[in-house]
Amino acid sequence: MLEFIPGVRFSASALEAERVRMEVISQNIANAYTTRGPDGQPYKRQLVVFESVLQGKLRRINESQPAEVRVARIATDPRPFRYVYQPGHPDADPAGFVSYPNVNLYEEMADLIAASRAFEANLAVIKVAKNMALQTLSINRR
Amino acid sequence: MTVEPTNSFKLVNPYQESYGVNATNTQPTITAKLTPSSQNVSFNNMLSQFIGEVNAQQVRAQQIVQAVLTGENIPLHHAVIAVEEASIAFQLMVEIRNKLLDSYHELMRLQI
Repeated sequence: MLEFIPGVRFSASALEAERVRMEVISQNIANAYTTRGPDGQPYKRQLVVFESVLQGKLRRINESQPAEVRVARIATDPRPFRYVYQPGHPDADPAGFVSYPNVNLYEEMADLIAASRAFEANLAVIKVAKNMALQTLSINRR
Repeated sequence: MTVEPTNSFKLVNPYQESYGVNATNTQPTITAKLTPSSQNVSFNNMLSQFIGEVNAQQVRAQQIVQAVLTGENIPLHHAVIAVEEASIAFQLMVEIRNKLLDSYHELMRLQI
């Protein structure tokens, strides 16, 4: 009586992780031209790092354990900012250059599509597993 | 052998201290532990415990849906999955009821 739908726990953890990834992507795109944040620096692009969390207490070394996925941390992209020559900008440095965030919109769109496809894949797994459970119940029906 | 349902569910709070880092127990769990014991447990007890657990799952699903609708910070898929699991548990209970009724009719048909 743990789970009626087999493996729903792993898919649910993946749905949560992909949802966090979508939020980070939307944050990146929204702040793609933010030249000044609360610390005075331009916005640094952020990305998520996934990790798997082993279930169960026994951890035999050469055997795989069922694992949920989890967002380990949200890291910042260490790539340098974009320098654009805009002498009239209020945030321009004395040479007239403005640092824009290192957000590449094409990269973000590709990541967006990847995250949405991963989300849909996990949704499909849950749907199929739910159908399996329902058809198991139909053994008794005439 | 006793089946004790431990209704150890808590409403999910996936945002702990920092944004986006999952709690290790984001999915509420209802576990039933099978503990061997020396006394005999009747089928009646097992059945009533099972019904209690199905009821607990329905209550949990309704709680999660209500929390989502009142705007708490719960991801939508947790609500959907809880409702689906409660529905499947309920259908299992209905199938068990059907089977019990069939076996009762079978017994009644025995001629003395």
